[in-house]
Amino acid sequence: MIPNLVTVRHRRPDGRRLRLHVPVLPVLLVLSPLLLLAVPVGLVACLVLRVSPLGALRGAGQLLWALPGTRIELEQGRTAVLVSVR
Amino acid sequence: MNEERRQILQMLAEGKITADEAERLIDALEREQRESPPGAAPRPKPKYLRVVVSSADNFGGDGPGRVNVRVPLQLLRAGVRLTSLIPPQALTQVNEELNKSGVPIDLTQLKPQHIEELIEQLDDVTIDVDQPDAKVQVFCE
Repeated sequence: MIPNLVTVRHRRPDGRRLRLHVPVLPVLLVLSPLLLLAVPVGLVACLVLRVSPLGALRGAGQLLWALPGTRIELEQGRTAVLVSVR
Repeated sequence: MNEERRQILQMLAEGKITADEAERLIDALEREQRESPPGAAPRPKPKYLRVVVSSADNFGGDGPGRVNVRVPLQLLRAGVRLTSLIPPQALTQVNEELNKSGVPIDLTQLKPQHIEELIEQLDDVTIDVDQPDAKVQVFCE
């Protein structure tokens, strides 16, 4: 399953907090025209680097599918960053 | 025939692994099955690799630090599969740079099935490093 929601939390040293919830599917839909442009660029890059475009697409898809459940939490004193993919 | 054995034979049929490797995998599988007592519930397979680092060091006067990273094992597998796409000329360049840095590892000898096997064995890995001012834990859950 592709990620549904990416959550980014940031706590600054002065105590201010930033919370960002990014719904992946709507964002992908909004960016779809740009993605369509990126496809031929990726294809050319694959041909130049002699990488199988299908293999690259499959690999990227597998990577995207495996992302849910990833959680990265960094804390240093009063500063903290959290990135969570669900 | 159980699912794991079928997968090994499938990989052998597809030429992804050699007969020797298939034999070793099947041996390991049989050992694992013998070790688990009959009737006992199978241990749930871990899904995540977790790295926790706690440091009491006061870097930059900001207070102690903590890192907590949870990565799905499936993501590691997907990453490993991506490495098989790296063109041979790039691998040669990486090898040269590694050699220059004093790390004589030949990445062209690293086959995807070896890394796949390595990830399979990660399930049982637990690393604990305890120091007065820092603690590192790496485990699967």
